[in-house]
Amino acid sequence: MGKERMDDRAFADAVLREVPSVAVPAVLEARILADFDAAAARRRRHGVLRRWRDTIWPGAPLWKPASVLALSLLIGLSAGTLLPAASQSPVATAQTLALLDTTPALDLSGDL
Amino acid sequence: MSFDPDAELVARAGKGDRAAAQALMARHLPAMLNLARRMLSGQAEAEDCVQEAFLRLWTHAARWQPGRAKFETWLYRVTLNQCYDRLRRKPQAGLEVAENVPDPAPAADKMLENSGVTAEVEAALATLPERQRAAILLCHYQEHGNAEAAEILGISVEALESLLARGRRTLRTKLSHLRMGA
Repeated sequence: MGKERMDDRAFADAVLREVPSVAVPAVLEARILADFDAAAARRRRHGVLRRWRDTIWPGAPLWKPASVLALSLLIGLSAGTLLPAASQSPVATAQTLALLDTTPALDLSGDL
Repeated sequence: MSFDPDAELVARAGKGDRAAAQALMARHLPAMLNLARRMLSGQAEAEDCVQEAFLRLWTHAARWQPGRAKFETWLYRVTLNQCYDRLRRKPQAGLEVAENVPDPAPAADKMLENSGVTAEVEAALATLPERQRAAILLCHYQEHGNAEAAEILGISVEALESLLARGRRTLRTKLSHLRMGA
């Protein structure tokens, strides 16, 4: 059995040598390099976002700091829009403006 | 951890180093193309196959982590998976080739010219099941050791040796009429 396997292996080696190798066509090399250039260009475009991500949250996937930023903006905009309107009534605003327009009642000419 | 001679080139290619990409192609493209060509029996399909394999490399190079797997093993595995996908898209191609292979015995004396022998050997290879074919090609052409070839195929060394034994036996049965130097 062992000798038979060796014979099969030797035979396979001999017949397979009859199939020559093919050379790599230049066109194929050019296509593969073009794919490389396209992939590198895509990475450069995404590089700005990645540098921002690495500054804020090193090692995190891009969606995490992006989500936190979006949420912060939403909270900030909501607070900026709603809170000043809630804390000031129209009457209070008018009184404030009236006080600012009048001269303060101070008499500094008298003796102390 | 064993030294991976391609790790540095892959890292540089992942950063956009074109020279590193060209060096990787020079090292691996000829062997990959010949592996695909012998698996698929067609030049155009083989070229598409290796182009797709390299495209996956360019996409993943920036995230390549040395030490997890040898780069060459990964690259050959990707190439073979591309070959399997193409073979499975036309499942009857191998059987059709087998049916159309003429009975060699009557024309044996005419088949000793190199081009005839090449065609016969290629036809016999095409009749092997894809995993036997891959095992034969990795060990006989790519000169991988059994352990390397088994790792590429994702099987044990024993399973690889079984594939090799069956593949070699089939080749010998189909091509026994050829007078070889062995």
